[in-house]
Amino acid sequence: MKSRSDKIEEAKRVSGAYGCVECGRCVAACPMAEMYANFSIEMSPRGMIKKTLLGYPVVEDKNIWYCTECNAGTDVCPQGVSCRDLIRTLRGAAVADNLLANAQICKCCGRPFAALPVENFIRGRLKEEPPNVRELLTACPSCRREIYLKRNT
Amino acid sequence: MQEPMNEGDLSLDINVLRPRSVEKKTLSGYFMPPRHPFILFDPQKCTGCGTCEMICSARNTNRVAPLSASVQVLADERSGKNLAILCQHCRQPLCIPACPTRAIEKGSDGIVRINKLFCTDCGLCTMACPAAAPLKDPDSREIHKCDLCEGDPLCVKHCPETALTFTRGKAFRWIKGLRWSVQAISFAMLVIVFIGTFCYFKAGNVAFSCPAGTLQNIASSGAIVLVGISSAAALLFLTILAGRLFCGWICPFGFVLDLVDKITPKKLGWPSFLKSRMTKYGVLAGAVGGSYALGFQAFCTVCPIGTLCRSYGVQSFFKSAELAIVPALASLEIAQRRSWCRYFCPVGAVLGIMTTLRLIKIVIGAKKCKKFSCIQCAEVCPMGIIDADQLREGISPRIPMTECIMCLRCLDRCPYDAAKIRFRWQRTAPEEDGR
Repeated sequence: MKSRSDKIEEAKRVSGAYGCVECGRCVAACPMAEMYANFSIEMSPRGMIKKTLLGYPVVEDKNIWYCTECNAGTDVCPQGVSCRDLIRTLRGAAVADNLLANAQICKCCGRPFAALPVENFIRGRLKEEPPNVRELLTACPSCRREIYLKRNT
Repeated sequence: MQEPMNEGDLSLDINVLRPRSVEKKTLSGYFMPPRHPFILFDPQKCTGCGTCEMICSARNTNRVAPLSASVQVLADERSGKNLAILCQHCRQPLCIPACPTRAIEKGSDGIVRINKLFCTDCGLCTMACPAAAPLKDPDSREIHKCDLCEGDPLCVKHCPETALTFTRGKAFRWIKGLRWSVQAISFAMLVIVFIGTFCYFKAGNVAFSCPAGTLQNIASSGAIVLVGISSAAALLFLTILAGRLFCGWICPFGFVLDLVDKITPKKLGWPSFLKSRMTKYGVLAGAVGGSYALGFQAFCTVCPIGTLCRSYGVQSFFKSAELAIVPALASLEIAQRRSWCRYFCPVGAVLGIMTTLRLIKIVIGAKKCKKFSCIQCAEVCPMGIIDADQLREGISPRIPMTECIMCLRCLDRCPYDAAKIRFRWQRTAPEEDGR
């Protein structure tokens, strides 16, 4: 069983966070800026990489749950740092430590499949849809397929 | 010295940089439906071979990797049936508002595409899709989306059992034109040419009368006249044969309501405490009871159909004071479509009772249509009896024939021929299990 510090170390290694030159290209490309009004250095990919390197308690940090796990930051990074892999490994560590306050749990299979702030963003965008459509957001995509299959066969 | 720039000049707001395109309604779009392409799936024919997945992934990713395909065949182990999940190219796609970078757009040809220039592969569209259509490639974690191979889908071409069919829907909606002309002709006939014939008409041995009026006549006079019953039977017989065809195609007041509906496209909504379709049976009972108590045909004096038909022709069209009831009740149309017919009309109530002996029914086979991504039938239904929520869940809605006015708008509008007329006793295919 890996300890939490091992996992943070692994996250730094997997994502190549040591190579970060803090240019801020990932911040410019990050879709979170469009999604959240409170987008700041606390939440931005550059800020997260910095916090991880400086040894802040990132696993307990709420800000790791705002990421959409997109590929935009990695695409533009001159050093090839994958902020997505960093966030994903940190989230894995948080899930392993049962820190699920900000994770969306699938209502069918009970698996944490997405981050709550991201879900809330989609829910806000779809607020004009009828409730039985929005209800589907609480099921993970594979369970949603099961529901769809059950209804249609 | 340079002036400081306005905040508006520096705006990086996405609404300013890339505003959403707004669909314009054109006149040609009203007469000719937009023929949006779509792949229909037939669960009866699918064997689950997975050829579609392979050919799709070969086109999308240049290698045969079925999991990366934009079409996925799922198998239900209990029923042994297969189901292909693929992008429905919804009429109002949920992925478009969910996308934070506005990379997804629905083209004027109806195909929903992802602009790779703006896509960040974040996968929020996958989370918003109600069908969980395959978007995110589990291998490369990139977003691929079905674009119908730009109008020539390979999966349809290569399906060995022809379970997938590519369709563009109907080209021409002919029932619409037929219904409007029949309505206009019967309005002219009943209101202008043969004045008052709807309420009561007798020529030699042929007699015709309004069934609700006949009931009130019996109640007020206390005498049952066989001629009266047999003359009312004509309309009741038509109802047994073809449902409430009268309401949708012949009723002159219904024609007025449909015209008023055309000029009031925005509906205010009907108060929920008045939302009982049983009200019209109460109105019928009140009309008959009132006629018995008062000794004359109480409701007939205010009946909108009757006042229209008895308005003494074109010359004195505006002279008749009782005609004021027509615009008063037609103004209910701003609340809901055909509000009068839905909740109050006692003539419709008599015909509704007669539909318990009906011969035909309307079925909507949800298994053969686009379900949540279309729901045009529920939108066009003037009586509001097609359950959009059930359609969203993929269930064939049961259509209450006592409420259906047989206007056939649903048949006309459905691009995929999922709405059909069937005999009442006819066993429909399992995919059309709505009765």
